[in-house]
Parts: sequence; structure tokens; C-alpha cells
Amino acid sequence: MERFLTKDFLSGLMFVAFGLGALYVGQHLAVGTPVRMGPGYVPRMLSLILLALGVVICIVAVVSGSEPVERPKWKPITLVTLGIVCFALLFERAGLIPALIVLILISSLAGEEFKLTEVIGNIVVLSILCTVVFKMGLGMNISVVQGIW
Amino acid sequence: MDLLGNLGLGITVAFTFQNLTYALLGCMVGTLIGVLPGIGPVATIAMLLPITFHLPPTASLIMLAGIYYGAQYGGSTTSILVNLPGEASSVVTCLDGYQMARKGRAGAALSISAVGSFFAGTVGTIIIVIFAEPLTRMAQKFGPADYCSLMALGLVAAVVLASGSITKAIAMVFLGLLFGLVGTDVNTGAQRFTFDVPELSDGIDFAPIAMGLFGIAEIVVNLEKHLERGGAIKVGSLWPTREEIRRATPAILRGTILGSLLGVLPGGGPTLGAFSAYTLEKKLSKTPGEFGKGAVEGVAAPEAANNAAAQTSFIPMLTLGIPSNAVMALMVGAMIIQGIQPGPEVMTKKPDLFWGMIVSMWIGNAMLVIINLPMIGMWVKLLTVPYRYLAPAILLFCCIGAYSLQNSTFHVMQVAAFGVLGYIFVRLGCEGAPFLLGLVLGPQMEEYFRRAMLLSRGDAMVFLERPISLGLLITTALLLILMALPSIKKAREEAFQEEG
Repeated sequence: MERFLTKDFLSGLMFVAFGLGALYVGQHLAVGTPVRMGPGYVPRMLSLILLALGVVICIVAVVSGSEPVERPKWKPITLVTLGIVCFALLFERAGLIPALIVLILISSLAGEEFKLTEVIGNIVVLSILCTVVFKMGLGMNISVVQGIW
Repeated sequence: MDLLGNLGLGITVAFTFQNLTYALLGCMVGTLIGVLPGIGPVATIAMLLPITFHLPPTASLIMLAGIYYGAQYGGSTTSILVNLPGEASSVVTCLDGYQMARKGRAGAALSISAVGSFFAGTVGTIIIVIFAEPLTRMAQKFGPADYCSLMALGLVAAVVLASGSITKAIAMVFLGLLFGLVGTDVNTGAQRFTFDVPELSDGIDFAPIAMGLFGIAEIVVNLEKHLERGGAIKVGSLWPTREEIRRATPAILRGTILGSLLGVLPGGGPTLGAFSAYTLEKKLSKTPGEFGKGAVEGVAAPEAANNAAAQTSFIPMLTLGIPSNAVMALMVGAMIIQGIQPGPEVMTKKPDLFWGMIVSMWIGNAMLVIINLPMIGMWVKLLTVPYRYLAPAILLFCCIGAYSLQNSTFHVMQVAAFGVLGYIFVRLGCEGAPFLLGLVLGPQMEEYFRRAMLLSRGDAMVFLERPISLGLLITTALLLILMALPSIKKAREEAFQEEG
């Protein structure tokens, strides 16, 4: 198992996956002829090359070994992504301030230290700053709190 | 057109109040973000792309160029003061710059690096002015097949200079090319890889990809690392001693020359320039033992070289439309969003934009010296802001920026998705730069490839029959073969070892 949990082997797998995925999704695109290429010609060519490169990378990684992949820390990437997704969902439905509060709260949890007072301070400062800059300064067509302003 | 006439046109464009303001704004914002630890020029430009979209093309490019230089200056400042390089090209500045700071010569190191950078930037700008026209004229003779081969060369050269496995970097280029194809096929109108999402029919927007891959991924990696900080450092007198000036002057000159040369190479750029300049100084020095302990040459030469290279790396982008590194790929992306197809036509069709931008590069460099030295105290204060405040704030600005592109939360979602992808790339040791180059060049390359094949009636030999194309392809092949040679492979690995 150790042999396969290397950076090179896994990236090879990733390229294979992208290659296969692109072939599958693009299967209905007409390939055409070299003179009159259809929309699928270049995508298919690129997918096949990517697939081949992925296979080569995998084989080389297994035969000659490579750096083991570090254990990922799930917390930062999960929380940051979650924060952005929540922001996207809330921004138009609830407005700038609610989306901002949720994003800052969640992404502050991603770091090592979390002090509620500091986070609240950060939220207050950023709320004022964003309202002044984006709503009043740049006149962006956004609502600060949906239904109120 | 004569040189002076061109420059005159550039000056009239660059010295308008509006463009001067945007140049200044770009420099300020660039420095601001560049000073923040862990965020280099690529991430800075990526995250700030949205704010330039609503400006006229010339102003937006002037601002982006300002951000680029600003971020570089900011990076040097953090290297010297707290031993944190903001970007790869300032890594070498840390070696001696931070040592100078510990000896109480931080002020001198900062001013030498600022003056050296300004000098190098000026020389770099002059080189662009001289070479832009001949190169553009040459590029106008290129047919579709030649262009296709030129892009292949540019992509391969960029790969060679990426650290880590070359095969992986090449695969990343192809992945980027593939992502570049998403959207409506220009020739047939067929939807490709759009999954029936209407927002994707114009292709994946460039800005969210760049923001996610470079901005978000970088923030996440920094959050994991728990950034260490040195204590507050006293800047001291900004004036270098006479001895320091005597030693720094020739180093700046050598660094400028070396950096200018290396910057033009496809795949070259500030990092390569800075490293080579440092090595050169160490070899030429009568007292190589001083390097790493606060040798003033070790600050002057790499700082001059990275700025010179930063300037001259604009040459292939402006004249041929081929980005030589990730920053230039972002610039190409920004131009395309503004409706300008980078390439030889830019200079002939939009001379005001072209020359205005070049002149404003010089203005930007001058502004940075003025902004940076007297305001150094303010930047130092910024360094003491903890990352736990900064990271959420940067994320927030990214999200609002992404939304503002087209007033759509779909773009914010894209930022999140590409953030995850970027994080996977980092964890698997896959470089983002080749991906970005492939992404930017993908659509054009397909276009040229299809046109070339159509003109040759489907005969792929066209790429070998045209002399320009053949020459470019031979160079590409040579590069690849060279990289496969064991001795060069080893030297390359060692070079990147030092960097990491």
C-alpha cells in the first residue's frame, strides 16, 4: 500500500481520471477528419495524451518509487471551502453582512487559534469596511442586508 | 514608426491623470498584498484580477503591471525584514538581506534593493522599447503552423523551469489545455464539457480559476503551516555607507544584465534571474565566505536581476502573445477578458495601449521607490498583523471580487471548486504554473492547429515543412532531450533543491 500512496502515483491516477473523464464526457462530440476537424478532434487528442502520460507517471512511480504523500490536514481545506460555499449561497439570499459573518466565522475556525472576541472584532471591522468600500464607494449593486438595505 | 515617436505616444497616454492614478493604485495595492507573508505576486495578481475588469483596457493593464511590481517590492521587504520571502524570486534575497538586517543594516539593505530594482527596471524598460518592434515584425510573418509550434516551444520551455518532475509538469500543461477547451466550440458552435450549465458556455472564466488555484490554495497551505514570525526589526538608517555603495554598484550592473537576458527566455523570469545573479556574485567575489552572512552584493545583484527579468519577461508576451511564466499568463488572461488578443497585432492595432503600458512600467518603478522608502515604517507595521486576521479577510475579498465579475454567485462557487483542485495539486506536488499556461494558450493553440491542418489539407507534415515551424519544433525537441540527459537532470534537481 505504501508503494501506491506516493505523490507521483496519485498524480498519475489523477491525470488518468481526468483523461478518462474527458473521453467519457466528450464521447458525443464529432471527431471529424484532420482536414475538417469536428469539435471533438482536439479534445479527444488531448484526453488520450493525458491518459497516456498519466499511465506512464503511474508506472514510473511504482517501479522507481517516489515521495510519500503527506497526510492531509482536513480542517483548513474543508472549512475554507465550506466558508466560501456558504458565502455564495447566502450572498444574494441574505445579503452581504450575513454572508460575511458566516464566512469569517467558519474560516477563522480553520486556523490554529480561535478567540471569539478577536473574530467578532474582525467581523465588525470588515463589515464596516466592505459596506463603505463596495456598497457606498464603488456603488456595487448588492444588498447589505437583504430586504433592509 | 521611430522609437521617439512611439515613446512620445506612450508618454502622452501614461501621463494622463487617470492612468497615473491607476499606476499608483496598482503599486500601492501590490505592495500591500506583497508585504503580507506567504502571498507572492501570482496569488496577488490572481486575487486582484476582478478589480481591474471594470476599468478601460489600458488602465487595467497599467494597474496590473503596477500590482506585479508592487508585489515584487513587497516580497523583497519581507525577505529582508523578517526572513519571509513573499515569492520564489526573493528567496535568495533572504540569505544576505536578513543577515544585514540582523546586523542593524536593514535600512541600507532596503534602499540598495529599491535603488537597484529601479535601475534594473529602467534598463529592462529600455530593452523592451528597443526590441519590441523588430520582434513584432518578425512575428507578423508567422503562419498558423508556426504559431502552433511557437506555443509548443513556449509551453515546453516553461515546463523545463518548473521544479519537480518534468513528466508531471507536461501532464499539467495538457490538463490546462483541456480545461481551456470548455465552452462553445468557435467553429461549430457545439457545447464542449459544459454539462449543460449555461454559465460554462463561454468557457470557464479565467479569474475564478486563477483565484482558486493560486489564491485560495495558498491561503489553505499557509493555514496548515502556522507561519512563524520574527520579532519586530529596527529598520535603522536608510543611507548605505560609502563602502556598501562601492560594493553594490557593480553588483547591480551585473545583476541587471544577467536578469535582462534570462527574463526574455520562455520559461525564464525573475526567479531564474535572481538565483543566477547570486551564484555569479558569489563566484566573482574575492570574499565568497561573506555570502550568507550579510554581503551587500548578495542583496544588490539578485534584487536588480529579478526586477530586470520581471521587465523583460514582458517581451515575449507583448510581441508574440506567448506568456513565459505564470504572471504573464495572468496578464494574457486579463488582456483576453478585456477583448484584446495578445500577439503582434497589439502593437500595430493598439499602439496607444502598447506604448502607454511600457512607459507606465517605468513610472510604476519610479513610484515604488518613492512609495516604499519613506513609508517603510507602515509596511513594517503591517507585518505584525497576525495571519488569523488576514486569512479570513483575504478570503472575503476574493469572494466579493469573484462575485463582482458578473454579479453571479456561480463564480464564487467556481473559486471554491478550484481552490480544492489547487490544494490537491499542491499536495501531489503538481505545479500550477504549467496548468495556467496551458489554460491560457489552449483555445488559441487549437485554433491555429485547426487552421494549419485545414490549409495543408490534413497533412501534419506542414509543421515540419515550414522552416520557422521546423526550427521551433527542433528547439523544443532539443530542450526535452537535454532535460532527459542524466547529468543535466541532476544539476536541475540540485538547483531546485537549493530553492526549496
